[in-house]
Amino acid sequence: MIGRRRIASALASLGLWAVCAAFFMPVFWIFLAAFKTRAQILTIPPIWVFHPSLEGLRFMVERQAGAFWQYLLNSVMISALAVTIAVFVAYLAAFSLSRFKPAATDFMMFLLLSIRMVPGAAVVLPLFMMYRSLGWIGSRWAIVLFYAMFSLPFSLWILKGFLDGVSRRFDEAAMVDGASRFHVMFRVVLPQVKPGVVAALIFNMIFVWNEFLFDFILGGERVATIPVALAAGLYTSQGTDWQYIASLTLVYTAPLMVAIFFVQRHLLLGMTFGTVRGEV
Amino acid sequence: MPQPLFTWLLIAPSLALFAVFNILPLLWLVGLSFFRYNLTFGPPPQFAGLKNYTDLMNDRFLWGRLGLTLLFVLLAVGIETVLGALLGYAFWKKRDLPGRRLALTLLFVPMVLAPVAVGTFFKIIYDPMYGVLPYYAARLLRIKPPDLLGSGNLAFPAVLAVDVWMWTPFLIMMTVAALGAVPKALLESAEVDRLTAWQRMRYVVWPHAKFVLMLGVVLRTIDAFKTFDLVSAMTAGGPGNQTQLVSLTIFREAFNDFAIGKASALSLLVLFIAVSLASIYLFVLNYGVLREGK
Repeated sequence: MIGRRRIASALASLGLWAVCAAFFMPVFWIFLAAFKTRAQILTIPPIWVFHPSLEGLRFMVERQAGAFWQYLLNSVMISALAVTIAVFVAYLAAFSLSRFKPAATDFMMFLLLSIRMVPGAAVVLPLFMMYRSLGWIGSRWAIVLFYAMFSLPFSLWILKGFLDGVSRRFDEAAMVDGASRFHVMFRVVLPQVKPGVVAALIFNMIFVWNEFLFDFILGGERVATIPVALAAGLYTSQGTDWQYIASLTLVYTAPLMVAIFFVQRHLLLGMTFGTVRGEV
Repeated sequence: MPQPLFTWLLIAPSLALFAVFNILPLLWLVGLSFFRYNLTFGPPPQFAGLKNYTDLMNDRFLWGRLGLTLLFVLLAVGIETVLGALLGYAFWKKRDLPGRRLALTLLFVPMVLAPVAVGTFFKIIYDPMYGVLPYYAARLLRIKPPDLLGSGNLAFPAVLAVDVWMWTPFLIMMTVAALGAVPKALLESAEVDRLTAWQRMRYVVWPHAKFVLMLGVVLRTIDAFKTFDLVSAMTAGGPGNQTQLVSLTIFREAFNDFAIGKASALSLLVLFIAVSLASIYLFVLNYGVLREGK
């Protein structure tokens, strides 16, 4: 009996690993292409084993006199700033909504979620007109603040969920001890909602890191991020530059993969919107 | 500082961001939708009353795009939810999976890829001459390598498949998180009480898991409705208009034809549909919570 159970368990593990491998396969194929020569990428039957070449990565870095570093810097700066601002601002609001429950709290939560419902293609047009009139096109801060706004609702929803789960006794006890409001907010309560903060940061980071449309229309060459560079640099005189796409995707995705590996627990916990504490 | 002032002071930055980057453009959008306006040439904006809206009502092409988009959302979210729930359950059940952390990392990667990159790269994965997928399909099924993105019948399912591949992991993740919300003590007592599998699902797991799971479905529906980058990079709406989702139509009207007024009216219509959809979901969600007397 025990032997049979063990075999069943091994088969289940194998099956689940096969599922993961299947989902990862296309990504793996793109990553492989980053180490192939141009000719190898287009070879049929497909090549799986080959001598890796760094040609693609070198071309990517040297292209347009090193503009790659500028794109990368833009991507890092814009997403880091936008997400940090969003989570900070959202924490203030979530704290207030969770603790003081002002009138229309539910309505405000819905209103802010409705930001996420707006189709990008629909809102980019009036934003473009507005930015053009105000002279904001190509401004770094205008892009950062826009992305901050876009990351706001999700952060707010996650954080409010977690804050609702933290007993108000902590606030009261600290207040009795003479702590200031800000001390309560940032020193007493904040450490207890850390998984929520991490989840909000990571999730919005993924979104802003990959967002293409708004930066493409509202930004300019100076604030172009990697997805925009990718869309703009697809075509060369010899047709689509697959090597460039693959190399950029590899470099661009690797940091997120590492992040997912290390903060996975927080991520899963964060997605419960504060309904559980402990392990998921 | 008096309490009400402090309460609103904390909310103010959020509302300010919201007002400048959301309300203001929306007002702009509403305004533009009543004008006849071409971005590049022609006379300055002319007031057109409801003309843009009546044009929309009579535009059968647009209704076709909307129908296609709804079909896309329905199929994509439906398949992703079923697959995600089943696989998520399996991953939750098998907590001692060797290397679970790495396995889940690999599983979650598709959803963090840039959709522009995915869309572009699938053009070559799907390519009938150079693509890896048609090659193996042809070998396995002994057929001519299919031109997936170039043929009228196959393009839509091919695009749908990429969306399912990209976003099923999201629902797997939401399912694992949702099931994590079920208190372990309850599960154990259900075991002791010998509830059937169905009873355990219905009365123990579902009440705790549904909020997070439904939230996953809501978020996914909203995002599927907005799909743009992926399809725009993969097919640009073609062949013919087989994969032209409504967000691509808006973009085309506004930035290729520069018909700003009409694009604005269409944007508002789409926004209205998206908000209605989400409201229905949220209503159902809230109703469930109310009924439990929480």
